Amino acid sequence: MSSDLAVKTREPDPLPPEKAPFFSRPSGKIFLIWLAMTVVGVLIGFYAPHHLLPTMLSVEGRAVWATVVLLTVLAAPVAAFVYGVGFYSLVAWRQRGYGQSDEPPPDGPPLRGNSGLTILWLVVSGVLVVVMLVWGLAELASENATHPNSLQVDVTGQQWLWTFSYPGAGNLETRSLVLPDNRTIVFHVTSEDVTHGFWPVELGVQVDANPNVVTTIQATTNKLGAFTVRCSQLCGLYHSFMYASGAVVTPQAFAVWLHAHGASALTASDVARVSSSS
Amino acid sequence: MTTAAAPALLEDTQLSSRAGGLYRHQNIVTGLIGGIGLGAIGWALSHQFLQGSNWGTDMVVTVTMAGWVIGLLLGIGAFNAPVLWMLGHDQTHEDELYLAGVGQGPRRYWKFCTDHKVVGVQYLIAVFTIFGVGGTLAMMIRTQLVSAHSSFLGANAYNAIVSVHGMAMIVATIIMVTGPFGNFIVPIMVGAKDMAFPRLNALSFWLLFAAVPPLLATFVLGGVDAGWTTYAPLSVQAPPAMDAFAITILTFAVSVTLSGINIIVTVLTMRAEGMTLNRLPIFTWGAVIGSALGLYAMPAFMVGMVMMITDRVSGTSFFVAAVGGSGWLWENIFWIMGHPEVYVILIPPVAAMLEVVSTFARKPIFAYKVTVGAFIAIIALSIMVWAHHMFTTGWAPDLNGPFMLTTELISIPTGIIFLCVIGTLWRGSIWTRLPMYWAYLFLWNFIIGGVTGIYLSDVPADNYFHGDMFVTAHFHYTLLGGAMIAAVAAFCYWFPKVSGRMLNERIGKVAFWMVAIGIQITYFGMFWEGFEGMPRRVAYYDPIFLHANQMATVGAYLLMAGFVVLLYAIIHSWVHGRPAPANPWHAKSLEWMVPTPVPLENFLVEPVVTADPYGYGEPEPAAPAAEPEREPVPVGSAETTAGEPV
Repeated sequence: MSSDLAVKTREPDPLPPEKAPFFSRPSGKIFLIWLAMTVVGVLIGFYAPHHLLPTMLSVEGRAVWATVVLLTVLAAPVAAFVYGVGFYSLVAWRQRGYGQSDEPPPDGPPLRGNSGLTILWLVVSGVLVVVMLVWGLAELASENATHPNSLQVDVTGQQWLWTFSYPGAGNLETRSLVLPDNRTIVFHVTSEDVTHGFWPVELGVQVDANPNVVTTIQATTNKLGAFTVRCSQLCGLYHSFMYASGAVVTPQAFAVWLHAHGASALTASDVARVSSSS
Repeated sequence: MTTAAAPALLEDTQLSSRAGGLYRHQNIVTGLIGGIGLGAIGWALSHQFLQGSNWGTDMVVTVTMAGWVIGLLLGIGAFNAPVLWMLGHDQTHEDELYLAGVGQGPRRYWKFCTDHKVVGVQYLIAVFTIFGVGGTLAMMIRTQLVSAHSSFLGANAYNAIVSVHGMAMIVATIIMVTGPFGNFIVPIMVGAKDMAFPRLNALSFWLLFAAVPPLLATFVLGGVDAGWTTYAPLSVQAPPAMDAFAITILTFAVSVTLSGINIIVTVLTMRAEGMTLNRLPIFTWGAVIGSALGLYAMPAFMVGMVMMITDRVSGTSFFVAAVGGSGWLWENIFWIMGHPEVYVILIPPVAAMLEVVSTFARKPIFAYKVTVGAFIAIIALSIMVWAHHMFTTGWAPDLNGPFMLTTELISIPTGIIFLCVIGTLWRGSIWTRLPMYWAYLFLWNFIIGGVTGIYLSDVPADNYFHGDMFVTAHFHYTLLGGAMIAAVAAFCYWFPKVSGRMLNERIGKVAFWMVAIGIQITYFGMFWEGFEGMPRRVAYYDPIFLHANQMATVGAYLLMAGFVVLLYAIIHSWVHGRPAPANPWHAKSLEWMVPTPVPLENFLVEPVVTADPYGYGEPEPAAPAAEPEREPVPVGSAETTAGEPV
């Protein structure tokens, strides 16, 4: 058997690669493929979140958008490089005529590694990770910063509906979540039965609703509009139908809404305090 | 080599009619009788004595399913020899040969057989079967989701199917490479005659076999409505199906643990002369490293499931917050298993695919030692990342930063795998046979899976994407598009050695294109759903997600059709295929140096290894992996008897 393994090395390439002009060498061609694919990747990075994410109504939602764009832009050159070498190898190094042959093509060059390249690869991926991490930690810190005069909202999940209550407004209870614009909202989330996932989609935040525990998450609204509260944790039979409607409205409209829903329970100063954004 | 000349292979040995003793009469039928019998006895006793208690039905299901597992193993003869040893009777060499399947032809595939190649094929069939079940369930899920309010399944059936689809696919992907090829190929690759513990090897397969029926029984026991992650307290309240589900996991976890120990010990202790660690084929490293991680992950799953069972059958309240427990405890235990587990799935097939890339680029593996180091770094980091599944649970917001760090660090060793692949392709002589097609598809898919993974690793983005279809699309890109496609590459690569026939590449390539395109359509549909904000595991959805879902369903049908075509190619080739030469790919690792079909105990000559198996393009002295000069001595002859009974 070993005699079949006699080494057949490929004919050397007609023009030694080192002496050819850059763009006719493999590395030059791969560079061009890499550049083109990186541009495509960056364009996708701007296009996809912009057109596919819903219109975000909060600072945190905007951060989702920015994070997706940034990470795509960081990842695009790496992915493009791997794809570039992959495609180029299929086009330029594929040994034609061997696709159905039982005889293998002649062996390639015995390159067993390149420590310089490996170190470069590690350094580049390390730098990308650091950028990602710093970005993530900065966003995390700003999302956890405490804001004075935030609006407290209690959220209770149960199979299979959401209840919202406004402790500052006489514990007004509703089935839909109405929030004032330009205000930090702190959600105190719990569950009456199993674990649910409180996800006001267009606010770009979520936290689980666990029984016997209160978890908190905050979002700062910055745009008027309607949103949907969904359940992001499988919670049994009608998980699919566990959603509620929500809206970010002007502070004035919010005050009116509070009045309309809880007028009897509220004093005027309650409403003023809860609905004021200053 | 000496394929034709081999005079007295062990297979031709005549055994006395008493060899094997009781075991002569045991096979899958007695196993099923034993399992059903002991299950029925367990049911009758528990129904009589336990049904009246608070948790009666759960106890009955647990006892019945445990009876099934133990009865099956008794019936098939798994414990014959240990029991005889305890009674002071040793097994004769003939008994051991009978147990290894000598003289039984195809019947040995239906028995408790210690030959590692038989176990490998048994695993292969089991993997196909479980993938068939999981794939069919996936098609039912996608069919339900083709319209926003379909009445195809109904909410309860949908949840039950989602749970079993998830668990079946996890079971199948964990074993899809270490089961068939870890057993069939690894011992030959390292120059061993069999696994270190052949009896444990057979036991691990039949434990897997026993684990599957309880999983399917969940459908008639009310259905598991908590997903494969079975978050508490929903899972503690779930119908009795959950007890059967827990028995499945316990049994499967024991199976994976035994099989992992076996692979590790085999590679560490049974290597041929000259097979140093530096010369180990990279797939062997992958199988060992993946198995070692399994030894870390699976016990957590077992512990969690035992606690789950006691919560359900005896009212402990580990996971029930209302009486002092915590659902977060379950989530932690689950993901301490769950995140290492994805690398248990991923590393063996990726390592196997690197063999494919090296063989079909006709080049040595690029940066071999760095890549092995990357595998080790991955498993070391992977045990420290579990809470990234819990960023949004509210469990420990202060730990989100640290877990984001470890999670993003893991992309560095993962990046090394890409470096290894493209470095091996670089200036290679690309030989585009079928296995290489799948290796390229892996490269394409795994980049997408990796890039979408970093969105999820970043807490601000995960705050949006967690628990929605984006996650589903991401992990299908890594586990199906990455791990499973790499496993298909490995399968196409080793098929000639396992089956003795060449795979029909014309049909295989049709399947390839269907699968390749199907994956992109399906999971880009799901990414679209995820961007728009569709939660996972919903049977009905807002019509705004309709087009994305229809896209995913169309893609999923194409994907499944592609796998059916591939299955056709496999079955057709296994029956009618062109007989395979011993080394169809002109590769250099030891499994290609033995004849096809591989004889019992593998080697006609004990191999002596002088170089690693990647000497493509290098001068002759480094090339042969097997020592060619020695006089062939048939294994089992007077000179080299098969060794002591194990």
